Amino acid sequence: MSPRSKPELAHDHLEAARDDLEGERTGDAINALFYAGEAAVVALAETHGIDTKKSHVLKATAASQLHQKGVLDHDLGPLLRELNQARKDYWYEGEDPEVDLEAAYEEIEWLVDKATEGEE
Amino acid sequence: MAVVHDIAPGGGWSLRLDWHDESVWQQRLQRDREVATCNQSAEQRAITETLMSRAREGGASAFALTGSTARAQRTAISDLDYHVIGERPLHSDLPDDVDIYATDLPGFWGKLNQGDDFVQWTLRYGCVLFDEGGFQQGMQHLAKEDLWPSPALKFARLAEHIRLARRLISMGDRDAAQDQVRATLTSVSRGLLLSARVFPLARAELPQQLTTVGFPELGQALHQSIGSELTLDQLSQALDLVDGSTPVEALAS
Repeated sequence: MSPRSKPELAHDHLEAARDDLEGERTGDAINALFYAGEAAVVALAETHGIDTKKSHVLKATAASQLHQKGVLDHDLGPLLRELNQARKDYWYEGEDPEVDLEAAYEEIEWLVDKATEGEE
Repeated sequence: MAVVHDIAPGGGWSLRLDWHDESVWQQRLQRDREVATCNQSAEQRAITETLMSRAREGGASAFALTGSTARAQRTAISDLDYHVIGERPLHSDLPDDVDIYATDLPGFWGKLNQGDDFVQWTLRYGCVLFDEGGFQQGMQHLAKEDLWPSPALKFARLAEHIRLARRLISMGDRDAAQDQVRATLTSVSRGLLLSARVFPLARAELPQQLTTVGFPELGQALHQSIGSELTLDQLSQALDLVDGSTPVEALAS
């Protein structure tokens, strides 16, 4: 087992999210979307000199900074925060997510496309 | 007026105090405010004040600072943790990892009576910063009934947590896997401590507590997952330890 690049991981988490959504595995889908989004943001942030350290809030903030810098044409920081809250609510409180997972998938897919441009 | 000096082992509030005595509750509130002030940086205090103000504006009836900050046990990866009775206040604009546990009043009572450990954690160790009666009555009930949290609740989703962690390891996402393995280790540690009638404190204190009840290797694994960057192989080995420490019925669920 060896660690892989963030764009690769973003892509794989997104694929897992698609399978989980189609299999109606809500908790797995929330996690996969969250980790796809985080991996994509870290990949883009590293390219543009934005520090994310290991903090979930810094990764969400980085998504907003990427928007402010014009790298992303809309701000996905709020969605990352919503997904982070949704996974805690689902896995620790047993609560259904308030976020629309299909809509979130489309947003994260767009983000992952941005992060993986030029990778193939 | 009763003078509060009776603190339980681990620095929590003793259930032996007369929590129906209003002066006891007022002394607790005073001391909790002092502890919260002392344990937070200026920036953290500002975040807490902002959240408390928003919670009040949103109609919340009680608010407490909980977790590692309330215990003065913060690590580099600590969130700022709160317990609100009422709506969760907006926190997406605040510059720190904020985790807010929010329930309405019936939900608070339901969780207290069902054996939820976090609700009891707030009552025993949290810093209550405002309260319209929910936490006070909860403390009275906790003391009168001598409630103890259910270890089974900590094990209820353990098999799922392990599966998720192994999936992240197999994908090669080290950062995400460490996040998930740490959460899994924390959850099983709390369950094992509750089974041994030891109340789990803040996450950074769990390794020492685990050692005292006979799980030193699990404690070491948790300690490493908090303070070190582990390899995927080390993370996999940590999950093997969870498998070996957990009641079989918990893993079969």
